[in-house]
Amino acid sequence: MDTTSPAVFVNGALLRRYIGQKVRAVIQVIRSEIGSVVGKSTDDQQIVVKGSPQPPLTSYLEVIGIAESDNTIRAEVWTNFGDSFDAQNYNELCKLANGEFRHLFI
Amino acid sequence: MAVNLTAEAIAKMLNGEVTSETDMTPVLQVTELKMIQTKLNQNHESSNRYKITLSDGILWQQGMLNTSLNSLVIQGSIQFGSIVKLTRFVCNQVQSRRIVVVADVEILVEKCDIIGPRVQSGKPNEPGQSSVFDQQRGGLGSVNTQQSNGGGFEQQQARRTDLNGGRYGASANSPQPQVVHNNPDAVRYGVSANLPQPQVVHNSSDAGRYGLPANSPQPHQVGHNSSDAGKYGANLAQPQVGHNSSDAGRYGLPASSPQPQVGHNSSDAGRYGLPASSPQPQVGHNSSDAGRYGLPASSPQPQVGQRYGTGSGYPETSPSSRPYGSSNAGYGGSRLEQPRAPATTAYSRPVQSSYQPQPPPMYVNRGPVARNEAPPRITPIAALNPYQGRWTIKVRVSCKGALRRFSNPRGEGKLFNFDLLDSGGGEIRVTCFNDVVDQFFDQIVVGNVYLISRGSLKPAQKNFNHLQNDYEIHLDSASTIQQCYEDDPTIPRHQFHFRNVGDIENMESNSITDLIGIVSSINPAVSIMRKNQTEVLKRALQLKDMSGRSVEFTMWGDFCNAEGQKLQMLCDSGASPVLAVKAGRISEFNGKQVSTIGSSQLFIEPDFPEARELREWYEREGRNAHFTSISREFTGAGRQELRKVITQIKDDKLGTSEKPDWITVCATISFMKVENFCYTACPIMNGDRPCSKKVTNNGDGTWRCEKCDKSVEECDYRYILQIQLQDHTGLTWATAFQEAGEEIMGISAKDLYYIKYEHQEEEKFEDIIRSFTFSKYIFKLKIKEETYSDEQRVKATVVKAEKINYSSDTRFMLEAMDKLRTGDANSLPVKLESSNYRSDALNSGIGTSGTRETASVDARRDFGLPAANQVGQYGNQYAGPINGITSCNACGSNGHVSANCPSLMSEPQGQYTQGRYTGGGTPRQHVGGY
Repeated sequence: MDTTSPAVFVNGALLRRYIGQKVRAVIQVIRSEIGSVVGKSTDDQQIVVKGSPQPPLTSYLEVIGIAESDNTIRAEVWTNFGDSFDAQNYNELCKLANGEFRHLFI
Repeated sequence: MAVNLTAEAIAKMLNGEVTSETDMTPVLQVTELKMIQTKLNQNHESSNRYKITLSDGILWQQGMLNTSLNSLVIQGSIQFGSIVKLTRFVCNQVQSRRIVVVADVEILVEKCDIIGPRVQSGKPNEPGQSSVFDQQRGGLGSVNTQQSNGGGFEQQQARRTDLNGGRYGASANSPQPQVVHNNPDAVRYGVSANLPQPQVVHNSSDAGRYGLPANSPQPHQVGHNSSDAGKYGANLAQPQVGHNSSDAGRYGLPASSPQPQVGHNSSDAGRYGLPASSPQPQVGHNSSDAGRYGLPASSPQPQVGQRYGTGSGYPETSPSSRPYGSSNAGYGGSRLEQPRAPATTAYSRPVQSSYQPQPPPMYVNRGPVARNEAPPRITPIAALNPYQGRWTIKVRVSCKGALRRFSNPRGEGKLFNFDLLDSGGGEIRVTCFNDVVDQFFDQIVVGNVYLISRGSLKPAQKNFNHLQNDYEIHLDSASTIQQCYEDDPTIPRHQFHFRNVGDIENMESNSITDLIGIVSSINPAVSIMRKNQTEVLKRALQLKDMSGRSVEFTMWGDFCNAEGQKLQMLCDSGASPVLAVKAGRISEFNGKQVSTIGSSQLFIEPDFPEARELREWYEREGRNAHFTSISREFTGAGRQELRKVITQIKDDKLGTSEKPDWITVCATISFMKVENFCYTACPIMNGDRPCSKKVTNNGDGTWRCEKCDKSVEECDYRYILQIQLQDHTGLTWATAFQEAGEEIMGISAKDLYYIKYEHQEEEKFEDIIRSFTFSKYIFKLKIKEETYSDEQRVKATVVKAEKINYSSDTRFMLEAMDKLRTGDANSLPVKLESSNYRSDALNSGIGTSGTRETASVDARRDFGLPAANQVGQYGNQYAGPINGITSCNACGSNGHVSANCPSLMSEPQGQYTQGRYTGGGTPRQHVGGY
C-alpha cells in the first residue's frame, strides 16, 4: 500500500478541502455516462467521478483518485462495494477521519 | 399486695366448665415449675418447655407453659409462688389427664408464699403419689412413651389407688369433696352442695367394681376398696364414674352441685334422688363384666350398651342438656375408640369429643342410651398437639392449594392442602393425601367456616409450610369436616404477620414473610426463560412502607396477569395502591427482594387496619418522603448486554464471584480444535428435551446411555467445540455446545461428523472449518470459575454466537464514541487500543476489510504468523486526544499520548506482552480492531 500519499476518506462536503489531493469516497451510483459516473456521496451530494470503471457496477462504489473540484473526482481505482452499504456509517467515518481523529488517518 | 386467687378456678377447669380464657381468666398461683425437654420432630430438635402446677388455694392443676413464655421463666418473672392471671390458656385432655396449656399470662405477684393447704399437691408425705406424678409428668413431656409403658403405668396407678383409697378414707374434713365409701351394704352418700366437686365414689363389695369419680381431676383420687381393685388400676387414669352395685346406695345429690355425677347401676334406681335442676345428670353405664375396664381401649368396651335405668326417677331431659363432651372423652386421648352404642338404644351417644373427662355414669344394663347432642367443644388451633387424639377445631379456610400429583418410589399419589385460621389467632395447614383428597377436596371452599375433627398432627414441613405452627394436620378417612353455615365473625379471613421493609433487609434470604406497602411503581410483565426451557412471566414493582425503605417485589407466573394487571392499571391511573403480600419469599438477588411463591397471596387495597394506617401515613407524609431501596435498582428489563473485551475477563476477574458473569464480546475465532468437535449423545427424550448425555458404543452398533439405562440404535451427535476467541486485546478459549456450535458452524454436528468420518471428505470438512475461522462473531459468553481436580479455571462457554453485522456493530461503536466524547468515558466498554499501532493504522483502512485470511488450518494454529492477524482492520480510530485533552491510554494520565507514555517505553508491545505474538516477531498485528 502506498503510504506516501494516503487517500483521505471524504464525503461530498469534505471533498473541497482536498482539491488536488488523493481522496477516497464511496458513492451510490445514480447513472453511468461515457467517461464518468454520476453518483451520490454519503452525505447526499451529487458527485461526478471521471474515469471508466469496469462494468458491471454495483450500486455502491468506492473510488480512489484525485479531487478535481468540490464535486469531481478523477478516479484511478474503482471498487464495487455491493448493493447494500451503510452510507451513514461511512459518512460518520469521513467526519471522524477529518475531524478530531485526523491524526490517525493522514 | 392483695391478690385473691380465683376461687374454685381449678375445680371449674377440672370439671370442664372452664376451658379457655373465654370462660374465665383465673388468678392462680404457681406451685411448681419444672423444665422438661420435648422432642419436637424427627430431626431430634428438642425444645425446652416448662411444666407448671397452678393452684387456686384449694386444688391444683398441672399445665404447660407455652414456649413463648419461657423467657418469663428464665428471667424469673414466673417462679415458684408467682401469682399469675391466665389471659390465654386452654384446658386440654392429654391422655387421660387434664392439662392447662398456658399461652399468655399476666404476672400479678412474682414471688409469694404458697397460699392454701395444697392438699392435692402430692406432698412428700404421700410418697407413692408423688412418684406417680413424676411418672405421669414424664409421660407428658414425651408422651409417646406413655403408651408403650402401659404396664408399668398401670401398676403405678394401682399402687396409687391403694394409697388414695386409704387417704380418702381418713380425710373426712378434707377440702376435697371426694367421698369414698366402702360399704358392703347400701350406702348413703351425702355430698354437700358447697363442695366444688361432689365426686361420688362408692364401691360395693359384691358387684362394686368401679368407684371412680366422674369429674375427678386426678383420677388417683378415687377411693377404691374393691376386692379386685387391682383389676381397675389401669383404668383409674381415666376418670370414670360408675359403680355397679346391685344394692346401690342412695345418692343424695344437692341441686347446687356443679356436677352431680352419679354412676349407678341399680335395679332400684328410683331411690336416687337426683334433683331435676342438676345441670348434668350424667348417664350411668355399666358393665356386667367389670374386669374389662382394665383392658386397654382397643378392646371393645362393654359399656356401649349404656342404658338408662328404665323407670328410674332420672330426669329425661338430661342427655341433651348436658354441656359436657362426649363420654368417650373420659377414656383419654388414645383410648377414644369406643364402639358406639348400638342402634337399639334410645339415646345413642354423640360422636363429638371434647376434653371433658367425665364419662357418663352408667345405670342399668338395660335401657336406652343417652346421646350427647351438645355441640362439641372447640379446641383452639394453638392447643392442638400430637398427643391429643380427639379434637374439633372451628376454623376458616384462608387458602386452598391446588390438587397436586406426585410420584415417588412407593407409587403415585395426589395431595392438596389448605390453611386454616381460628378465632384464637392460630393458623395451621391441613394436608390430605390420595383418597382423602377425593373425600374433602370439593368440600373445602376458601372463606368458609368448618368444624374439623380428628386427624393426626405431624411436624410441619417447614420447607413447604410457612405458617407459624410447628404442626400440620393430616386428615384421614375418619376425619370429619362439617361446614358451619353460620359465619363466625371472630375468625379472621386472613392473618398476617407483617414485617416492615426495613426489617426485611436484615432477614435471611429464603425466609417467608408477610409484607404490606404502597406500590410506587410497577414494571410491565416480561417473559423469562427458565432453565428447563419453559417460559415464565415476571413482573417487578417497588413497595415502600413506613420504615422509609422500599423493596423490589417480584411477581411470577399468574400473579403477573391477575394482580399484576390490576396494579398496573391502578398505577397507570396515578394511584399508589396498597399491596399486602401473604407469604412472600425474601431473596438476595440484586440486594434484598421479595418474590411470590406458589402459596403467596396478594391483596390489593385490602380493608384492614394496617392498610388504612399505611394509607393515612402515605397521604400525610409518605408520598413526599425519600426512600432508600433495599434492592439494587434494576434498570431496564431483562439482562443487559454487557460488552467487554477479552482481556477484561481476566482483568475484571469475571466468573470468580458466586454467580457466572454474562458478557458479550466481539471476537474472531482464531483457532478451533477439529478433533472431538462433537460427542455421541443420547437421543432419548426426557420430558421435552433429549437426554443428551454421552452414549458409549456397545460395539454392536448400538449406543448405551448410562443415565437412561437404555441402548439405542442410533445416537445423536452434539457439538462440543473448543474454540479460541481473539479480539484486539487478547485471546481466550471457549466452549461452544450444541446450539451455539450450530450457530457458529452453520451445519449440524451430525452432518459434519458424517462428512469427516463417514464420507471421509476431508477437503469439504476443511472448507467448512475455514468458512468460519477468522470470521468475526458477537459471542455471548458465560464466564464462570470452575474447579477441575483442585485447579481453579475460569471457563467461558459460548451461549450464543452471531456473525457480526458490521453495519450495526459500527453504529454501536459510533454510539460508544459519542458517549466517550461527551465525557462519559466509562460507558465505553471497549478498551482503547494502545497507540503503538498508530503507524500501522495509517495504512489500514476499510478497503482491506474484505480480505479474508485463507491460510490453511495448520497455518492458523500458529497465530503468531503475521498473516493470520490482518483481518478487518479499520484502523484504530479511537486512540488519541479526546476533547482536546491529550491523554494516555496506556497509563491513564494526561499530558501525553500513549505512544510516548513512559510506562510503555520499555515494552513497545503494550498490552500484547503475553508472548503470544513472538512468532510474528514484530508487534504489527492489530487484530480485531476497526
